[in-house]
Amino acid sequence: MTIDDLRRFGADTDEGIRRCMGNEGFYLRLVKMMPNDQNFAILFDSIEKGDLDTAFEAAHALKGALGNLSITSLLDPVLKITDLLRSRTRMDYSDLVSEIRKKHHELAELCGS
Amino acid sequence: MAVRTENNRRTVLVVEDEFVNSQLLGFILSEEYNVLYAEDGRKALDVLKENARSISMVLTDIKMPVMDGFELIKAIRSDKSLRRIPIMVLTSESAYEEKSLDLGAIDFLTKPYDMPSIIKARVKRIIELSEGRKIIRATEKDYLTGLYAREFFFEYASRLETAGNGGRMDAVVIDLDRFNVINSLYGRSFGNSVLKAVATSLLQLLGESNGIACRFENDIFYVLCDHHDSYDSLAEKICSDLRSLSTSIRFSVRIGVLPDVSRVTSLLQQFETARTACNSIKSDRLRSVAFYSDEMHKKELLEERLLNEMQKALDENQFVVWFQPKLDIREDKPVLCSSEALVRWRHPELGMVSPGVFIPLFERNALISKLDRYVWNQAARQVARCKAKYGVSVPVSVNVSRIDLFDPDLKQTMLGILEENGLEFRDFLLEVTESAYSDDGEHLVGAIKDMRDTGFRIEMDDFGAGYSSLNSLSEMPVDIIKLDMSFTRKIHESKTTLRVVELIVELAKSLGALVVAEGVETETQYRLLILKASSG
Repeated sequence: MTIDDLRRFGADTDEGIRRCMGNEGFYLRLVKMMPNDQNFAILFDSIEKGDLDTAFEAAHALKGALGNLSITSLLDPVLKITDLLRSRTRMDYSDLVSEIRKKHHELAELCGS
Repeated sequence: MAVRTENNRRTVLVVEDEFVNSQLLGFILSEEYNVLYAEDGRKALDVLKENARSISMVLTDIKMPVMDGFELIKAIRSDKSLRRIPIMVLTSESAYEEKSLDLGAIDFLTKPYDMPSIIKARVKRIIELSEGRKIIRATEKDYLTGLYAREFFFEYASRLETAGNGGRMDAVVIDLDRFNVINSLYGRSFGNSVLKAVATSLLQLLGESNGIACRFENDIFYVLCDHHDSYDSLAEKICSDLRSLSTSIRFSVRIGVLPDVSRVTSLLQQFETARTACNSIKSDRLRSVAFYSDEMHKKELLEERLLNEMQKALDENQFVVWFQPKLDIREDKPVLCSSEALVRWRHPELGMVSPGVFIPLFERNALISKLDRYVWNQAARQVARCKAKYGVSVPVSVNVSRIDLFDPDLKQTMLGILEENGLEFRDFLLEVTESAYSDDGEHLVGAIKDMRDTGFRIEMDDFGAGYSSLNSLSEMPVDIIKLDMSFTRKIHESKTTLRVVELIVELAKSLGALVVAEGVETETQYRLLILKASSG
């Protein structure tokens, strides 16, 4: 995975690298950890079970990490779901969950390449 | 303050369960700090307890498993060994920020994080502020009494005065009487208990009144507080509190007050003024409290003027030396045998200034040596003139102050005066007061012995006025003992005094010393002294 790959995926890599004090290698190392973050699985699982408290905590944690790495294309749907879950809104989350799953999958593939 | 590690870097603890966040923050901070990590509040407490003294700051997430950030903040703030550590909260929820600050966090970092330079600057600033505050806490109080240390006292006092509600405030100086004696007799530890008890009494006063206090030095306390018309009850309270330490000691304090401090003059100066009021209270007084008065102000102005004009007075010979005769009464008819040089100040505007005013003043201000030298020279010239004119020597006694005895050139100066005026040792007697023997005795006795071994004759002034007369005689043989005036004055009134004079005359005889009685003013006194002189 290169910086360009990430940029094409939809990450604000300039901002992310600046936050890593200009160290591209360190930035990429952190990005590669993201797909394995257990909070993705917890989020999907708890939404399916209707456990919005746990879902909110997982989404909230993902929001912080994705924000820090500026992975915008994945951060955006996570931000949306976090806001909805914060007020424990009972609704159909499947579209948002699908979008997050899709982007998570793409990132995982990218990181594996 | 946190201890720096071997690489001279401070240590911070990052508490965060989200691995990416904790690694990123750790990476940013690791440029300047040693970074420790914990995944939740419980583990953070373990790390903190192991490294309590070395951690300079905690940066913690709020939402964490096992123990969240709020609980961690509470635990740190309630732990005596940890509460000094500043806490910064990491959060993306604005709702958490206020609660964190309420619980005792100092600041927060929002997620996503600011740029590294900003994070580093904020962390650095917080650590600096926190350490500065700790230094202040460690040094602002007097270790013994818990009152303010003097530098902080003046800083806070000036703020209190400026920020005050416009009410009147007093500068108060409290001095414990005979504290040195208490310390010597009962030991330093008891002395410390006394100082602590005074501090407690003062804190109680301040609890009922707006103000602050410090131990200015040794046994002297300064208080700036709301105006009181009287401080008698404070003096009584301090003494009654002290009596709980010991009923056998008669405690007393002196309190000097400058009422209504002004913003025009510095506080330090105003406390000096309150101290003047305090020092105006004599040890044998009936009162414990003195307010600074116009009279004291006038006295201060006069003293200031005399100090400023002393050199001019020396240059213009305003000081005049008078010679008080000493008569030998061992024969039928009194014979002039010697004299004592006395100094008076004939001031062109103030008229005759009493030596009781200027001598203690010059002694306090280390100017007495100059005057002493002036008198020695004048007296020596007079003896020389007398020798030249009448062909007889009338020896003169001159005063040698305590401070002169510390002058390494004293002997050379004296020898120079003798040589310059063609005098011999027997023409020039050196008078030393008895108190000179009792203070810093060893050095002074050495200096006096040296003068005596050189050939000068030593006269002990005011013998019997102090507490250590006999002791000083055993240490330091003298040629002449000058009986304190109080004996002469009472010799015809009290049989005991008469008996004491008799004993002193006998003692002097056994030591081969002469006795001079000062202040003989009546026929009766004279007759009684003749009687004792002939019997002694």
